[in-house]
Amino acid sequence: MNPHHHLHESTLMSYAAGALQAPLSIVAGTHLEQCPHCRQRLRDAEALGSALLEQTQPVLDDTRRETLRAAMLAQLMDVDPPAMPPPERQAPPERPQADPEYLPASLHPYFGDSLASLRWRWMAPGVHCIRARQMPSLIMLKIAPGKCLPMHSHGRSELTQVLRGSYNDALGLFAPGDVADLDAEVEHQPVTAPGVPCICVSALDAPLVFSGWLARKVQRFVKL
Amino acid sequence: MHPNAATARRKDNTFTAALPTQMYPDPRNLPSPLDTARIVSSSQQLSKEPMNWAGDMDGVARLRDRDCFMRIYDHFMPRLCVYLRGLGAPEAVAEELAQECLLRLWLRAAEFDPAQGALSTWLYRIARNLHIDRVRHERSWTLVQAAVENAAAADVLDRSSAEQFADHARLRQRINELSAVQARLVRMSYFEAKSHGEIAQALGMPLGTVKSHLRRAFLLLQSKVGGAS
Repeated sequence: MNPHHHLHESTLMSYAAGALQAPLSIVAGTHLEQCPHCRQRLRDAEALGSALLEQTQPVLDDTRRETLRAAMLAQLMDVDPPAMPPPERQAPPERPQADPEYLPASLHPYFGDSLASLRWRWMAPGVHCIRARQMPSLIMLKIAPGKCLPMHSHGRSELTQVLRGSYNDALGLFAPGDVADLDAEVEHQPVTAPGVPCICVSALDAPLVFSGWLARKVQRFVKL
Repeated sequence: MHPNAATARRKDNTFTAALPTQMYPDPRNLPSPLDTARIVSSSQQLSKEPMNWAGDMDGVARLRDRDCFMRIYDHFMPRLCVYLRGLGAPEAVAEELAQECLLRLWLRAAEFDPAQGALSTWLYRIARNLHIDRVRHERSWTLVQAAVENAAAADVLDRSSAEQFADHARLRQRINELSAVQARLVRMSYFEAKSHGEIAQALGMPLGTVKSHLRRAFLLLQSKVGGAS
């Protein structure tokens, strides 16, 4: 899988800093699992954090420092395992990538591990959804092929990772593996490609803002 | 000084003619832990030079050398405390987490691979994850992070540990070239773990502006780091 749409640099930095809100970090993790390019950029973002760490001016008073130091030395005696050669890097567990229904591991706690076992709820004509357990702003969406969603923008940020099928909007074609990293300044009208339904997982940190009056009315009932 | 020359550099500011095959210094020639503590605490200039910990880490992993470990400890312990306090951990909790972070280094030193990045980056990740797990109790993060690390384990990294070290030294220089506003936003992101929305609110700056400043800062730093992308 080689995604074409990636996480915004500021999202990667926020993830590296541990500052991304939980629902956004789950979708970012879903993308990172599938995108070697973003994993490399994440390493760079983490290196930035560590470079800042090294540049801090330590302020620990000397007696406290000595106390902690002595405590650490005592612990080394207690826990010392025998010297050992570096282990062979263990191969990551076999991932059943051949199974097209298998969901990225970041999503397992919220949606289970298989697309096939999802229990969809009807939301609007051609649109089904599932809200994550204990994470109301994390949702999985299934949109029928060839469907045009109402024009909308996002309250603050939205991250959407495509899992199946694809859609087009002003930013281009979004296919499996691609992430749309959007904020309030982007207004878009996704149109799903013909063929298979488009399944994606989205994190919203504020409600969507629909620009049409009809869509706004519908929103009152479907609560997106 | 060429960054790689620091391979042979010791904390007492002398140089050894270490061969690349024998990177870890002979423990007998090094200052005692107490001397090291004094040197580290009395010298500010050392903190400006990046240090290559490959030798000490090798000593910890293969020889279980406590002196090697305590040199790493003396350098990072107070810095980790500053970082963890900045994230909002109370003083005592910050100290406890920093100790645990370094104890993990002692226990898992064999897992450290210098080709994967600097030792400080490894410690940074451990400290960040510990804080999210113990202070913020966000189990969702821990699960996501495990999934991402699992995927990352399969990545082929084509940079040698010496190149990684040079990258890191360059990165540290470039941080000083950020504009005042970029530096401030970067610090708020990493050292206060503020979301971009919170930063925007705190500074009365539009969210889009915060994000584009951070993006430019990242590209500036990254373009100089190893030429990746």
